[in-house]
Amino acid sequence: MILHITKRELYDNLNSLRFALTTLLLLALMLTNAIGHLREHPKRIQTYNAAVAESLELLSSHADDSLYKLAQQGPGKLYKKPSPLHFCAEGGDHLLPNIIEGSKPYVYSTGIIGVWQLSYPDANINLKRVGPDVTKVDWAFIIAYVLSLIALLFTFDSISGEREHGTLRLMLANSVPRHTILIGKFLGALISISIPFTLATLVNLLMISTASGVHLNIEAWGRLGIIFFIALLYACFFLAFGLLVSARVQRSAVSLVILLLIWVTFVVFMPSMLASIASELSPSMSADEKWTQYGQMQQEIWDRYNYVAWSEAVDKKTLTAKSAFFTEKAEMIERLNQEYLTSQMAQVQHARSITRASPATLLQHLLESFAGTGFTRHSQFVENVERYARQYREFVVDIDRSDSESFHIIGVREGMTERKVLPAAVPKFEDTLRLSKDFNDSAMEILLLTMFVVLLLSGTYLAFVRVEV
Amino acid sequence: MLTTLIRREILDNLMTFRFAAAVLIMLLLVVAMTTVLIRDYERRLTSYNTAVKKHRQEMLETTTYSGARLTIDRPPNPLSIFSVGLDKRLGNTLRVNHFFVPTLWDARKHGADNPFLNLFSSIDLVFIFQGILSLLALVFAYDTLAGERERGTLRLVLTHPVRRGQVLFAKYISGMICLLIPLLMCILLVLIMLTTSASVFLSADDFLRIGGIVFTSFVYLSLFYLIGMLISAVTHRTGTALMLAMFVWGFLVLVYPNMILTAVKTEPPPDTQTSAYNQIKQIWEEFDRDRLQYLANDPVPGEKWSFGLSGEGGGSFWGYRHHPSSLLYYDLTGFSYKALKAESEPLVPHVQNYHRFLGPQVTNTAERMWLVRKPSLDALYTHPAKMEQMLLRFSPVGLYDAATEAWAGTDLNGLQDFFIAIQRYHQAVIDYYLDKKIFESRLWFVGAEGEIDWNLMPQFAFQRSDISINAKRALPDLCLLLMINLVLFAIIFLTFVRSEV
Repeated sequence: MILHITKRELYDNLNSLRFALTTLLLLALMLTNAIGHLREHPKRIQTYNAAVAESLELLSSHADDSLYKLAQQGPGKLYKKPSPLHFCAEGGDHLLPNIIEGSKPYVYSTGIIGVWQLSYPDANINLKRVGPDVTKVDWAFIIAYVLSLIALLFTFDSISGEREHGTLRLMLANSVPRHTILIGKFLGALISISIPFTLATLVNLLMISTASGVHLNIEAWGRLGIIFFIALLYACFFLAFGLLVSARVQRSAVSLVILLLIWVTFVVFMPSMLASIASELSPSMSADEKWTQYGQMQQEIWDRYNYVAWSEAVDKKTLTAKSAFFTEKAEMIERLNQEYLTSQMAQVQHARSITRASPATLLQHLLESFAGTGFTRHSQFVENVERYARQYREFVVDIDRSDSESFHIIGVREGMTERKVLPAAVPKFEDTLRLSKDFNDSAMEILLLTMFVVLLLSGTYLAFVRVEV
Repeated sequence: MLTTLIRREILDNLMTFRFAAAVLIMLLLVVAMTTVLIRDYERRLTSYNTAVKKHRQEMLETTTYSGARLTIDRPPNPLSIFSVGLDKRLGNTLRVNHFFVPTLWDARKHGADNPFLNLFSSIDLVFIFQGILSLLALVFAYDTLAGERERGTLRLVLTHPVRRGQVLFAKYISGMICLLIPLLMCILLVLIMLTTSASVFLSADDFLRIGGIVFTSFVYLSLFYLIGMLISAVTHRTGTALMLAMFVWGFLVLVYPNMILTAVKTEPPPDTQTSAYNQIKQIWEEFDRDRLQYLANDPVPGEKWSFGLSGEGGGSFWGYRHHPSSLLYYDLTGFSYKALKAESEPLVPHVQNYHRFLGPQVTNTAERMWLVRKPSLDALYTHPAKMEQMLLRFSPVGLYDAATEAWAGTDLNGLQDFFIAIQRYHQAVIDYYLDKKIFESRLWFVGAEGEIDWNLMPQFAFQRSDISINAKRALPDLCLLLMINLVLFAIIFLTFVRSEV
């Protein structure tokens, strides 16, 4: 019986205006998305490859020079690898820095050079753009806004409409349990919106995967599969919601008005409003505070070590003091940079977790983490870089230790080994993404979404069972 | 007859559930939003005040003219509560120097802001009106004609001696009155909240600007109402009309603005940046050659720009910046001391001669750099932005946004006003330096605390543009909106008059 009702719903929908319009709209959006991606992605990859090659070249030239040069200059600029699934969720990547610098040794005005530390650029890139502020048409946009709206348009009249026409009474006069009707209607609507969505998605993927210059590996396809599944889950949420309101309300027009108003509130306004409130609740460290602290710490270190700063002596004691001076200074700057970044990211993280009250944001976050873009990806990049920085420092110490003639004083030329370093032996930064980690991180959000769907469906069932026809 | 029709329609609309729901949701959203936005404005204002105080202190603490720290901060615009535009996004603090002409692209953010928060889109009241009012207008309009036709009441009405145009007009007027009620209620609430808030100060002109925004909202609303009526006139069933109306709304408000800017490429020609940047670099290299030549030919041996001067409380500094993305490049070295050691005193006249030569040289170089920068920055950033704005104008949403931003003064023009004022200030400072012969004075590089009276320097002042200028900037978009309204009404009239009932 469920099958029968589903089939009837499906045939009804396939002939309707909304089905045609939905197909057109989704196709147009997905085509735009593919065109935009194909235009921009090769450029992005090219820039990344060129930048990484340049950075590696600099690194090997330092390795050719000496171990001291490596210890002083650091690993250079480290770049965030652009995700091949950028078209799924842009995630504000154009606002996030794509580079962390493991260089910038402190140069004193007298020509003494300290050692490298990590420095994190601000997310200030957007200050230069003066054009209007729009969202890029990515899958996240298409699903979060358009697909959800379409889901509502397919269900707002599915029960109230039949009630208005009087056909609901007819149907219930047969020996069909109410939940069968409900499930049939739900499945019918789900299949009806899945058809245009799947079609549009396939066209999109066909364009992207056949283009030269863009490669999707097997892991990327796995991620796409998960994203598709999440999209359907999200659509189910709105279908169930539409059915719920449709079951409770007598007239379809009223049902649509209620649905749209709630949709606009939760999907369109909620995220930015909540973010604005939440970011106020947890203030972050300001740049002014950072610089004040910086000044104090610098003064303190300078006072402690200025007796060696000018010394030209090469005895072990002076060298050790000099090394301590450089390392402590670099550590101090790095720690402060990290603290500053952590407090800023914590504020954003806080705001993000509060905005999850909106299902649209929930979907946005899920898509971002599976597409490997956006804020979570950025914090992963920061982690990767920090791990690499430790590895790099250990490498320098290890190489130095292998030479018994060296003084083992890192950061000063006279204190370190003169032996050649093989450029190939220097650890290289590899920005990685792991599906299992992403899956673990977002399991909670997927569960939350599933729970919402189940909750709404059972709510709909209760509402429909108790309703007068 | 007309009044009877209007009265009937209004009563019909006012008693509906959708009206009550709409008003309720609108009011709730607007109150919540306004509270959030006022808080946000207050936060930005505090951040601005702290920055101003800090920068003032910094300025007073500098002891030489070459180290002068003239920092200008941009106050938040109170009307950004209505239409945020670029007000929140762009830089709001800028150091004025004699070695480059300041622009919008050199500004940075206050120290108190967290730049990562840009990840969340900033919203404003116009955004609510834009989304919800247009939706409401369509919901009110979709069954005006189709509904009556379905129920057969249209035939009844038309049996009376009333002209079809009158029926149409009555429906339009009554619908608009019903839509105006929530809009005006919202505006009234917002105004009450704004005027009772202690931190937001609105001038008389600001109220006029808000009036402009309300009028634009009204025209925008009417446009969507007419779109709804048109759909209602051409379809025969309310179900179809509703579906069509929703898709039209989704396309115009949600999809088109985002889609068009993803699809169409508005980037500047690829080598604009590098060629302009290299040109600027050359200008500075030329400057450096002249400088070195002077140093080689002057009576003091050696080419050292520091002249071997030594002193206390200061030192040498590098003023360099290589910023290809904003086409900013300069490379300067200098020094400043609080006091000189006795053995350096004889060198002072030579240093003064050097700076007498160098000062105008630097300002000239800055001027030459500006001649390259201005057109290139326009080509790099302003033209693509204008192009994007143009593309958005094909949707009423784009027109509405552009017009309200122009009223609020948060559009590109409004912000440029501020930076043009900074450029004027920059010129005034340089004129002051040249006039008072500051480049060649000893205070340029040596000065103890309190030797310079910074209050004698030209002061920066900025007044937001006149309301008439706002109106002039908003007018083209507003006129376009009005014209579309008229055209739509004409089309509806023609379809309705010729249609079978």
